[in-house]
Amino acid sequence: MAMVEADDRDDEGSIPSTHSIRSRRSIRSFSMPDFGDHVDDQIFSQILEMDDDETTREFSEPLVTNFFEQAEETFVKMDQALTDKNLEELSSLGHFLKGSSSTLGFSKIKDSCQIIQQAGHMLNVDGSPEPDEKVCVKKITEALKAAKVDTTELKQKMERFFAGKPIGDN
Amino acid sequence: MQATHVSEVTEGSEGSTVPAPGPDMNLIFEFSPLPLLVLSPSCFITRASARFLADWRVSSEACVGQHLVPFLEKHLHPASVEDANKVHGTIDDAIAARAERTTKAINVRLVASWTARVIPIFKEDEVLAIVTEWHEGPPQLLEGDLVKPGLSTHEAFRILVEAVKDYAIFLLDVGGHIATWNMGAELLKGYKRDEIVGRHFSIFYGKDDLEMKKPDIELEICLREGRVEDEGWRYKKDGTRFWANVVITAVYKDGIHVGFGKVTRDLTERKASETRLVAAYEESEKLKSDFLANMSHEIRTPMHGMLSACALLLDTPLTERQRDIANIMDESGQVLLQVINDILDYSKLASGTFSITSDIVGVSSIITSVVRGVQTTLQPSVHFELFLSSDLPKSVQGDPLRFRQIVQNIIGNAAKFTDKGSIRVRASLQNEEEDSYTVLTEVTDTGIGIPETAAASLFTPFTQFDITTTKRYKGTGLGLSIAKSLVELMGGRIGYRPNPERHGSVFWFTARFKKIKSLNQIQDWKKLPKGGSLHSRLGTDKSDWADLQTKLGEIAPAKNILLVEDNIINQKVMLGMLRSLGFKHIDLASNGAEAVNMVRGKPAAYELVLMDISMPILDGHEAAAKIREAGIRVPIVAMTAYALKGDRERCFEHGMDDYIPKPVDKKWLIKTLSKWLIRQKRDYRRRSLDDQMGELRLIRQKRDYRRRSLDDQMGELRLTAEQKVAASTSTVEVNGPCQ
Repeated sequence: MAMVEADDRDDEGSIPSTHSIRSRRSIRSFSMPDFGDHVDDQIFSQILEMDDDETTREFSEPLVTNFFEQAEETFVKMDQALTDKNLEELSSLGHFLKGSSSTLGFSKIKDSCQIIQQAGHMLNVDGSPEPDEKVCVKKITEALKAAKVDTTELKQKMERFFAGKPIGDN
Repeated sequence: MQATHVSEVTEGSEGSTVPAPGPDMNLIFEFSPLPLLVLSPSCFITRASARFLADWRVSSEACVGQHLVPFLEKHLHPASVEDANKVHGTIDDAIAARAERTTKAINVRLVASWTARVIPIFKEDEVLAIVTEWHEGPPQLLEGDLVKPGLSTHEAFRILVEAVKDYAIFLLDVGGHIATWNMGAELLKGYKRDEIVGRHFSIFYGKDDLEMKKPDIELEICLREGRVEDEGWRYKKDGTRFWANVVITAVYKDGIHVGFGKVTRDLTERKASETRLVAAYEESEKLKSDFLANMSHEIRTPMHGMLSACALLLDTPLTERQRDIANIMDESGQVLLQVINDILDYSKLASGTFSITSDIVGVSSIITSVVRGVQTTLQPSVHFELFLSSDLPKSVQGDPLRFRQIVQNIIGNAAKFTDKGSIRVRASLQNEEEDSYTVLTEVTDTGIGIPETAAASLFTPFTQFDITTTKRYKGTGLGLSIAKSLVELMGGRIGYRPNPERHGSVFWFTARFKKIKSLNQIQDWKKLPKGGSLHSRLGTDKSDWADLQTKLGEIAPAKNILLVEDNIINQKVMLGMLRSLGFKHIDLASNGAEAVNMVRGKPAAYELVLMDISMPILDGHEAAAKIREAGIRVPIVAMTAYALKGDRERCFEHGMDDYIPKPVDKKWLIKTLSKWLIRQKRDYRRRSLDDQMGELRLIRQKRDYRRRSLDDQMGELRLTAEQKVAASTSTVEVNGPCQ
């Protein structure tokens, strides 16, 4: 759900603000770093707004850390399911990780998970059937690989962000 | 005794067979105080006494020699000729019986009557003469069944008038002062006879009537016309008023005006029931409109389901024949949807629940976009000409959606009814005021045109001017009437005239828009998320959000919520959001089975359940269904990442009440939680069909009773999941959340 268009990205005013005074203060002083197309800023900013204190980030930091743990666990399960050619299990795992990645606004990971979920059901992303199992396995393999790469990349950015460092750009 | 005396007289007059010892019998007859008429056996008048001549104001010459019956007819003008003939019958009776008889009264001009004693005089068996003695009496109007023997008609009338209770019947003198008073008048007006007789009748009138001199005017008209009738408020002795029907009749005696008869009836009850009827009618009209609006919603939801399914079907590999059939389904569905939308709009407009929003309107771009859209549907032989006047304001403030709807309707109509030639669309600035613009849009076509006779009813709902065209041109006949209402809501006018150049029509309308005052205003709008965003989808503006969140924050600490979510990350985020909204009592379940156990274990514990759909062990659909099977009516809100519209319907099928698309947006969450947790002012649009049907049945009953029973129904309905498809949600689903 890409609410904010690219050119509005660094304009916090574009996010309709109904938050408490605390949140509003944080919006004023806080500028969302550029995570590129890894992150849906509007969704992720809602997560960050739930922090009582934006220097310690007691809510969002462990949450994000948990997500990466979850993602890595899930990737392990996915690798196993892929070895077993258990498409059903892959679809279910894809759906699972899609849920949390979309909740945090981690768009690229979510998109890969979507592919895994659909291919696990022998479907293309648009919902049309893909009868060839080999094609599906190939798609899953590629998507899983991409998801891992994206996760690693994003993890680094997030770690830098929570450490208060510039996240750099790549 | 008298008879004997008279017979003696008669004998004397007959030819002095017996010598008269006293005064001349002729003189005795002549000066007798009795009004006597002597008849021959064949009923010709032979002699009349002086008293008779005086009473009847006739001369002896006018009587003697006349047959009795024509004589009576001539001089009495009896009410009927039969009366005169009856006298003849009585005479025959008397002769046959050889005894005295009295005739029935002969009514004369309704003011008097005459009766005659008939005394036949015999010599041996031969009738010598018949003596009749005439007396005047009151008219015998109630003669016969209505009057008991011994009761004079006069008295019967008096009793009748006095005893009538339902009507105030009384007489006024020529000046309008009350002269008589009956029981009905006493009961109705509260005055006793003693206190009211002699007073002027204007005492019964209210201040307004007195100021306009109504009592005097009434008497004046009454004198001129003979009677006058009026309905209005009249006042009783205690100051209370009643709705009266008053008839005043001028009363004459012997051609002289002696006063007025006044009859007053109390119509307060009738008046009240008329008012009730009108109120009931208005209310039922309103209910009908609401019912329509609601029904359209209920139809629209599955309609959208069908159309999306159809669109999906068309995207799959199909044979040519299958594709044709699916296309027909799709097209018919679109037409049907348009019809339903029209009806919905119309009923909303009719019930006054339609509102115009305020947003930025690009007049030129809307017209251009509609023209571009319609162009694709045109016959190749029709071409568009678009003139946008250079003085048109770039952007104004108003309702862009509704403006587009009007433009679409009028241009769409032109395209529909034009087979060849051109459609010219011209928009210009008609008027500019300090804070507003009036924009004129004219659409000229060379189509079939409109017959003069139909022009007047063009904007009347459900009118299609030519029945023969309805088969060819689909539609409800509501389009123009909706356009008219919308135009009026936008402070404009709409009209039609024939195309002056050639066959066809010109439709024009004006709409008033506010000026945009500052650049900031535009920027504010631009900052708002654009079309298809949450804001416009949920139809709530900034201040409403803050307001809603504050309200939610007030009640949140007291509410218990069950959050069902298997993914720990999502759990945490939802918990964070709910806590930030002020919720303190949040229970967690990590799959459907756990949720069902928790809800079943404490059926009354939760005010709301937030339910993830895809979960291990038992998914959200099944969990919701099991909760409903257990008879628990807690609101269940699905959280679903599914993008397909049908998934939403599946949530409702399984007994859920609402849904939030994933990832959960805070505003959407606020909106949904508020809807289910804050007791809202009940709104007609939010109610189900059943509820309205119930109300329609109850409308005749007392208002308070109806309210109470409705409240009861509402309480139940609030929890009835399947029927709770609120107007606002339906709007949301049109656009559909897409991930």
